[in-house]
Amino acid sequence: MNPKRTMTLNLTDQEMSVLDELSVQKDLSKTALIRQALRLYQMVDARISRGEKLFFEDQAKQKAELMVL
Amino acid sequence: MREVVPIIDNASGELVDAEIFDEVTLTHFIETQAEWRPIVLAAARALSQKPNQGMLIPRHFHWDWTRKEAALKLLAVRFYGIAFEGRLQGIMKVETVAHTCRLPEQQGKPLVYIDYIEVAPWNIKVLMTAMGQPQRFRAVGTRLFEAAVQQSLEEDFRGRLGLHSLPGSEGFYINECGMTPVGRDPHKENLLWCEFTPEQAERYLSGE
Repeated sequence: MNPKRTMTLNLTDQEMSVLDELSVQKDLSKTALIRQALRLYQMVDARISRGEKLFFEDQAKQKAELMVL
Repeated sequence: MREVVPIIDNASGELVDAEIFDEVTLTHFIETQAEWRPIVLAAARALSQKPNQGMLIPRHFHWDWTRKEAALKLLAVRFYGIAFEGRLQGIMKVETVAHTCRLPEQQGKPLVYIDYIEVAPWNIKVLMTAMGQPQRFRAVGTRLFEAAVQQSLEEDFRGRLGLHSLPGSEGFYINECGMTPVGRDPHKENLLWCEFTPEQAERYLSGE
């Protein structure tokens, strides 16, 4: 296992409640969930930086572009 | 990460110490192109010229690992290599965010996705037979697969694992690894999606 470093993360009640909810839903610890979020953000950012676009498709096959800041 | 793992010397049947690591670099990708690809292509050509052998040509004969260089920087991607006496024997790319579980009992939960796994051509029996040479090592792919299961445990994914199997490997993943064949994926060349639940992963690692 690769070495890990520790940090303190300050969240609002609402943010913590979303973190709690997603942790249960995804069967992940809060640390693992934050790690996943960071990985996803970096991957999306890298592809958008290359000029790619991110789309969501609904059940009617309608596509909507998601703007990522 | 760098650990000693056993692989099997096919000539003697003895276990030998190889090294598995995740500090994979562009140099390793270039090694696969320079040393593996010419052998894979020569073996594929030999198979294609023999009657009824064309179906044995591995579907990965055209892979080019150097095209995955950009992924070396991504947190969501991890590469593993296995080397024996400094020579690369197998390589694997796994991802942790681009796919989620599809089995109903764990749908939407995160998993480790094996995107690519390849062993050196001299470790693939069908290729070496086509070239009239003996296979060098066995169990290289198995050691890589185990590393992916181990990563799933370390990630807090509880052993959940998924992959799209190439046609020639379906039997290995279903019968030898004990993965569940979930269904063909029309978005991925109709390849078979196979998945591990935590219980299956535990059984696999315990050798049951």
